[in-house]
Amino acid sequence: MNKKKLLALALSTVMAVTMLAGCGGSGSSEDSTGAAAEGSGSGQDTLTVAMSSDATSLDPVAVNNVYSSNIMQQMYSTLVNLDEDGNVVPNLAESYEVSDDGLTYTFKLKQGVKFHNGDEMKASDVVFSLKRAQAAAAVSHIFGDIDPDSFETPDDYTVTFKTNVANTGFIFGLAHTGGGIVSEKVVTEAGDNYTNEPIGTGPFKFVSWSKNDTIELERFDDYFGEAPVLKTMTFKIITEATNRAIELESGGVDMAFDISTNDISRVEENSELQLVRMVDNQTTFFAFNCEKEPFNDQRVRQAIAYAIDTTGVVDAVWRGVGQAAVGPIAPNVKYFDDSLTAHEYNVEKAKELLAEAGYENGFTFTISTNERQERIDMATIIQSQLKEVGITAEIEVLEWGALLEKAGNREQDVMMAGWTCQTPDPDMAVYAPFHSQKNGQVGNNYANFGSETVDALLEQGRTTVDSDEREQIYHDIQAAINEECPWVYLNNGEVVVGAKANLTGFTPTPYGYHSLYNISFK
Amino acid sequence: MLKYVARRILMLIPVLLGVTFIVFSLMYITPGDPAKLVLGDTATEEALEEYREEQGLNDPFLVRYGNYMKNLLLHGDIGTSYATKKPVIQEISECFPATVRLALSAMLVAVVLGIPIGIISAVRQYSIFDMVSMGFALIGISMPVFWLGLLLILFFSVQLKILPSSGYDTFAHMILPAIALGAQSVAVITRMTRSSMLEVINKDYIRTARAKGQKELSVIIKHALGNALIPIITSVGLQFGGLLGGAVLTESIFSIPGIGRLMVDSIKMRDYPVVQGGVLIIAIAFCFVNLFVDLLYAFVDPRIKAQYK
Repeated sequence: MNKKKLLALALSTVMAVTMLAGCGGSGSSEDSTGAAAEGSGSGQDTLTVAMSSDATSLDPVAVNNVYSSNIMQQMYSTLVNLDEDGNVVPNLAESYEVSDDGLTYTFKLKQGVKFHNGDEMKASDVVFSLKRAQAAAAVSHIFGDIDPDSFETPDDYTVTFKTNVANTGFIFGLAHTGGGIVSEKVVTEAGDNYTNEPIGTGPFKFVSWSKNDTIELERFDDYFGEAPVLKTMTFKIITEATNRAIELESGGVDMAFDISTNDISRVEENSELQLVRMVDNQTTFFAFNCEKEPFNDQRVRQAIAYAIDTTGVVDAVWRGVGQAAVGPIAPNVKYFDDSLTAHEYNVEKAKELLAEAGYENGFTFTISTNERQERIDMATIIQSQLKEVGITAEIEVLEWGALLEKAGNREQDVMMAGWTCQTPDPDMAVYAPFHSQKNGQVGNNYANFGSETVDALLEQGRTTVDSDEREQIYHDIQAAINEECPWVYLNNGEVVVGAKANLTGFTPTPYGYHSLYNISFK
Repeated sequence: MLKYVARRILMLIPVLLGVTFIVFSLMYITPGDPAKLVLGDTATEEALEEYREEQGLNDPFLVRYGNYMKNLLLHGDIGTSYATKKPVIQEISECFPATVRLALSAMLVAVVLGIPIGIISAVRQYSIFDMVSMGFALIGISMPVFWLGLLLILFFSVQLKILPSSGYDTFAHMILPAIALGAQSVAVITRMTRSSMLEVINKDYIRTARAKGQKELSVIIKHALGNALIPIITSVGLQFGGLLGGAVLTESIFSIPGIGRLMVDSIKMRDYPVVQGGVLIIAIAFCFVNLFVDLLYAFVDPRIKAQYK
């Protein structure tokens, strides 16, 4: 009988532990059904948002990904902001000036701006924050050109610094979350623990972060700008796309990021929900390794471009999300040449060019991409289209880290991935992926493309102040790149956000992270 | 008995040494640069190089392994996450409770359903009940968890609106994940119980028990199940140990922040310290579950107890 008692005891212990564990809860996350009840009336002052991935850090300079930026955008303020049209407007700065040579920046700061701990923000904090950003690897592509020894603070509300090179696009980068101003005192005291107790000057302050589960923020009542209506914001990490849509439908969340193509119609057809969409700054590219045979021959690259029916591929795979890309600069980026159209699909021309280049019998090559289903699907369709011209494409699906390593070693034939311009200025869209000095080993030029004409234009575009002349330079760049064909442009992505129908005050950005502090409920 | 336990715990040392070495080697030969993944592919080459130097990623394999083992053995330190800069032990301890809760709930479902169904199937072999339950067991084993999980969500969260579809805070939150994850274990345990019961049910001592005039229930539970328990306990133990390693799909579908998702995220980020630490902790947990199972044998079967010296 003893055995049985023991077994019973063991089982009941297991059961009791489960019950206790089940009922305990960490108290940090909101009960989804509770949120639903709350959300049904007007005057709601809580916002629950479903995100597809957790933030990796809440230190502005530690990381550069949209998941972290989506949280930090609510917590930190930057010297300047971008308005809806992508223009730079002062934010923590009251005004700013750029010297004629484009090298010296002077910012007059607003007075009386408070950090979340009540301390006043001073020029020294701005210097500290920008110096950190300059030295930080994750955002060095945006802030790396600042000369760290050039900072001057004539008084507590003025900051001057120089950049090593003139770059008209630089000022836009200051609006990136990496330029979020932090408190020198708090960061210094917290050391490595800062990401667990982050403090900014933004409209919302940090409350708690339960890894892979929830992040909670609360309104900061001493915010220098317009006071938000919302009192709290909760970000729930829901990795499954379908589940985000379901949570939105069932009222568990008020807003859901990254609604997948499959779920769009169910959100659209639900009268209690709305869908907010905007073409984003990501371009999916099919980049030839221009150093490698046969892709070092421009005719071969052009032939393949002619052989791919981009619009057909994009329509089949994305079913109306985003659009076929027409050039290296995405449509919402400044100086996008709107006279460009999708490249011609012409199998005969492709065959002619291949014959001219000596490949009338075709050849075999490998398309390397990562495990994003849409990319694999696009590659599969392209594979069958290329068969028409006698080219055999093999598809190699690598995990992201392995793909980057392969591209870093310049071993790939063709790499299929995406490039996002994180500012409204075109410099970031084209400089890194097409400048010869940025080849795959040291930069993001995964096509290992090099053209003296394009290099010269890229340098010129950087140093020319915004004007018709600069517009012309970027139009020329687009034309030159299209001609030399290092990439076949596949598609521009789209920000697709689902929200409750009575939610207002949300304007998406094409950069993938958004300000949510002006949201309210009707 | 205590001596046996002590010996088993000592035997953990070579096992864990082997585990750390294998994981370390695997991560080493996996392509992918942690610096590029942590800092983003836009980071400059100088920044990447500085990061690699700072994290010791440029050191040869043996130096890195040596440093890791030195910190582990001398300071009990399993490192700091590359991605979040938090101590690995903190990362894991934030995720482990959710995994344990999920594993326990799934096992509870599996044991409470699996053992009784298995017993009845064995006792009424070839009856309708037996055939139906074996049919369900086959479905349970074959059904992928992500599919079952989504079906459960569609039915209980979307149609009926009676259970939440994500999160893990309350008892209600755990019901769907426990069923989805437990379904396969139910099937395994049902089949194991049935076959194990069938083996003993025709034995002479069962006939003797019946001949003594014991009640049927007592014959089944005490005499038959008692003798059939060893393989059942083994399979429950193995299933539970496996679940402690994290159930990535279930965790993803139901948004449970468990160790499975932590591990997958960390592997993608090449966050070596978290992967190594995570595997180490999972291995330790698995070893302890096995030890517990072995000890349980002794209580169930006196013959085994006699061997534990």
